Amino acid sequence: MRRVLIVEDSVSTRAFVRAVLEDSQFASGLGGCDVVEASCGFDAMRLLPRGPYDLIVTDINMTDINGLELVRFIRKSAHHAETPLVVISTLRAEHDADRALALGANVYLPKPFTPEQLRETVAKLLEGRPVRAQSDGER
Amino acid sequence: MEGGGRGDGGARDEFFSEAQELVDGLGRDLLMLDEALKRGQSNAELINDVFRGVHTLKGLSGLFGATRMAGLSHQLEDVLDDLRLGRIEMTTKVLDLLFQAVSLYAQILSAEKGESAEPVHDVEQLLLALGQASGKRAGGSASTVAQYDLDPSLLGVLTEYEEHRLRTNLQDGLALYRIRVRFSLMTIDTALDELKVSAKPHGEIITYLPTGAGADTDAIELEILMASRAPLSLLRGAIRGPNVVIEEVQRRSGAGATPPHIPPPTPPPDPFSPLTSVRAPLGLDGASLPSHDSSARGRSPLPTPLFQPAPVASMPHAASAPARGPGPGEVSLRSVSQTVRVDIRKLDRLMTIVGELAIVKTAMARLSERARSRATGPKELAIELGRLNRTLDRHLAQMQSGILEVRMVPLGQAFDKLARVVRQISREHGKDVNLVVTGAETEIDKLIVEELSDPLMHMIRNAIDHGIESGDERMRVGKPPVGTIALNAFQKGNHVVIEVEDDGAGMDPKAIIATAVRKGVLSSYEANDMTPREVLALVFMPGFTTKEVATDLSGRGVGLDVVKTNMGKLGGVVDITSEVGIGTKMTITLPITLAIINVLLVEIGKHLFAVPLASVEEAIALDPAQVRTVESREVLSVRGVSLPLCRLDRLFALERTAPMPSKAFVVIAQVAQRRLGFVVDELIGQSDIVIKPLGKSLKSVRGFAGATELGDQRVALVLDVAVLIEEVLTPGEARYLVQAEGGRA
Amino acid sequence: MPAAHARGRSGRRAARRAGESGTRTEYLAFVLGGETYAVPIAQLAEILKPPPITDVPRAPSPVLGVISVRGKLVTVIDLRRRLRLAEAPTDRRTRILLVESGGGEQMGLLVDEVHQVWRLAHEEIEAPGVLGGEQAVHIAGIGRPAGVDGAVLILLDLRPIVEGTRDG
Repeated sequence: MRRVLIVEDSVSTRAFVRAVLEDSQFASGLGGCDVVEASCGFDAMRLLPRGPYDLIVTDINMTDINGLELVRFIRKSAHHAETPLVVISTLRAEHDADRALALGANVYLPKPFTPEQLRETVAKLLEGRPVRAQSDGER
Repeated sequence: MEGGGRGDGGARDEFFSEAQELVDGLGRDLLMLDEALKRGQSNAELINDVFRGVHTLKGLSGLFGATRMAGLSHQLEDVLDDLRLGRIEMTTKVLDLLFQAVSLYAQILSAEKGESAEPVHDVEQLLLALGQASGKRAGGSASTVAQYDLDPSLLGVLTEYEEHRLRTNLQDGLALYRIRVRFSLMTIDTALDELKVSAKPHGEIITYLPTGAGADTDAIELEILMASRAPLSLLRGAIRGPNVVIEEVQRRSGAGATPPHIPPPTPPPDPFSPLTSVRAPLGLDGASLPSHDSSARGRSPLPTPLFQPAPVASMPHAASAPARGPGPGEVSLRSVSQTVRVDIRKLDRLMTIVGELAIVKTAMARLSERARSRATGPKELAIELGRLNRTLDRHLAQMQSGILEVRMVPLGQAFDKLARVVRQISREHGKDVNLVVTGAETEIDKLIVEELSDPLMHMIRNAIDHGIESGDERMRVGKPPVGTIALNAFQKGNHVVIEVEDDGAGMDPKAIIATAVRKGVLSSYEANDMTPREVLALVFMPGFTTKEVATDLSGRGVGLDVVKTNMGKLGGVVDITSEVGIGTKMTITLPITLAIINVLLVEIGKHLFAVPLASVEEAIALDPAQVRTVESREVLSVRGVSLPLCRLDRLFALERTAPMPSKAFVVIAQVAQRRLGFVVDELIGQSDIVIKPLGKSLKSVRGFAGATELGDQRVALVLDVAVLIEEVLTPGEARYLVQAEGGRA
Repeated sequence: MPAAHARGRSGRRAARRAGESGTRTEYLAFVLGGETYAVPIAQLAEILKPPPITDVPRAPSPVLGVISVRGKLVTVIDLRRRLRLAEAPTDRRTRILLVESGGGEQMGLLVDEVHQVWRLAHEEIEAPGVLGGEQAVHIAGIGRPAGVDGAVLILLDLRPIVEGTRDG
């Protein structure tokens, strides 16, 4: 079972990511996939200690704590310094995307992306990594 | 309509509902921007909110393959990005165009949802106009930021926009403060909101940065960067909290106190509002600007006055665009969202009731067990069953009202959009109109709210077009030059009342009669014995309009008759009062919900009908001795008051297997002061029913609000009392007569 | 109904014989005023035994009334009246064909009796021209199943029928 945290203030984008990653065919390839949703940076911070997560996907343009700040925060934390991190944002935010990568995000996936692109990105990042979510049990 | 709804596991439904919310939000933000602009202020925060809305829309529409919406968003986003980064200036013209964009979004949304087959054009035209209206200005300079003693890693986490705001504030001469604060993760949202509220009057918060200290614990330390004109001591007094530390970010030693290229700070209009317009030094990268943007104004070395209307000559399209663009009359205000957001507490209450029902179920199972084993006598069983039945009844009633509550939404959802319409229509018409809303929090069924938007829009159009006088005319008659339209909503028993009241010229009964006679709606003979109320009701007749020249606004062929019909479909009535020189008030009275209604079931011959109790005053036995015939209409005298009668078997041409029984009943119905007695054979009883609309094939059948299933597969038609009263009491025969006369003449 | 049973079997046999070649469309055959009609199965949602039908005063003449099918209101029209055939009383063989009428709504069509399903190949369908006249709009063609002597199916297109009833 893989556990993915999605940080995004748009409900339907979260629903989209969930639908794509929890799609039975794709998820079974991962040994199951559980998507946890956070609607803002603070939500994410609340959920992070309840990890571990095998992968984190975050938007950049959010109110209060922006995605860049969240990336920096995640990289500083002891538990998630190494967790694969995907930044999703629109194409025009290249400036922001560069900064996210500089701060330690692994991949920048421009919006809009297709289900295939997301699945491919996620599969590549998780390839060969030990399953974390189950080894430590819940919380 | 690619049928993605199922494949995406509901994500597509989520998309429509979120997109609709975003578009509604855009409309609200633009209205606030408009307010600010009227006061001569700009508001960076609002512009950024609009940008974020469009940005999110773009992302969403891309994901869900809504290409037209993605296209519009993409282009709009560019303009908005320039606006928020200060590269172009917010003007009334630009705002007009943004308002149009909101209308376009609504059109595109309903087209994407497959509800409207209309192609959405005008997008190109709008974007062109936007491009022309937004004379670009040059970008700012990054060097100011470097003069501050900021951690370079901090700059690394600022988004482009945050960096821009930081730069702008510094260039405007504001001081930079660092606020350190520690919050518990559980309470951070509310605690931070409080801090924002206390900080807001004193400056602009640039960013919130988690320091990482205390990570993986339940507390979080934030570093907040804030720009302000206030001195440190004032801020320390204003922003308080158990763990708040505020310090000023110092300039690096060696940097000049005021760099030569920074223009002297101009005090903003409101000393406590830091959100002034953006004035960046000019001429840095003019070469990179598209050629049509290098208007004289864009390159002007003179400081541009705040919010000067843009020169008309440089933007011919923009100047005419509002008139040519889609008027709101062509764009439905109905939302495409089928989603209701529900307070979780309401659901919790429902859940509790479900729990209670489960208990009843267990008790039933036990009882049935006891009955089978004959441990309990039939009498005891009956008592037990009766008790359970009462409990079940009570819980079902709670469940019903709980679910109704979930369907309720505030009327404000429809009103917000109307404010936008008022602004646009009054601008198109050159009339100054103020919309005053009360009771926006009044709740009504979600379905009704959706159906209300368009009729209300039409009534408001009508008020601006026919009611409110021009500014000069108003001055002449001693009224304030700005007209007022009041939109009032309130609950009255099981109904919601909505009033649209204007302080315009009012309706002249003589003019109404003259028009009605000329149009053949009425004979001059009939006009003589009409009450003032009946005269006013003429404006709801099909094809009626008092203005000689149909204007662009109301003369689109949709009359108040359509408003009336549509309200009737919702079980509502429209009423009108007017006084010459004072104004006009239209009142809509609607049931609170469409979902479950209490009805009186009646029988005529072998036919069953349901009469909504909301419009039933009482039901009495028919005393044939009290029936007289007045002008070929049966009238019953009830306690000294005459009541016109309607025999439903004749009205509906019902087949009878047996003659009318000697003992019949009269159901006295009342809608908006008009009463009518329906003669029926039998009163069956009251019932709570779920009303369902008749299908499209029966759309033309008037007189029925829908039908309901009664159990054992039987279906009963629900009478549309308002329509029937209208039909029976309006001199329909007289109308035919007049038309026949007109034909002869 | 042994007779219907036998017919069903021979029909299936005929269909099998007539062709492994080409695509076939499934049609439901039913009786209306002594003639055998058929509609593409794809246009049908369900076949119902008629429940009590509630009369709707003022409705256009082919409308028999409304029924409730699993909580949804369905308008029922008399297909005989709609096609201007002589009326007949309903009996135990009378059925209602439930069809989608657009916008998520369904409509019921009252027919005298439902027969079997035919799988017709393209070659087994004649163009409607042979009949001519006013009815031609609803008639999609004539089906002559190969190998079944004398079997003639009047193929109906339900869309104009369903739509034509909307506004009376």
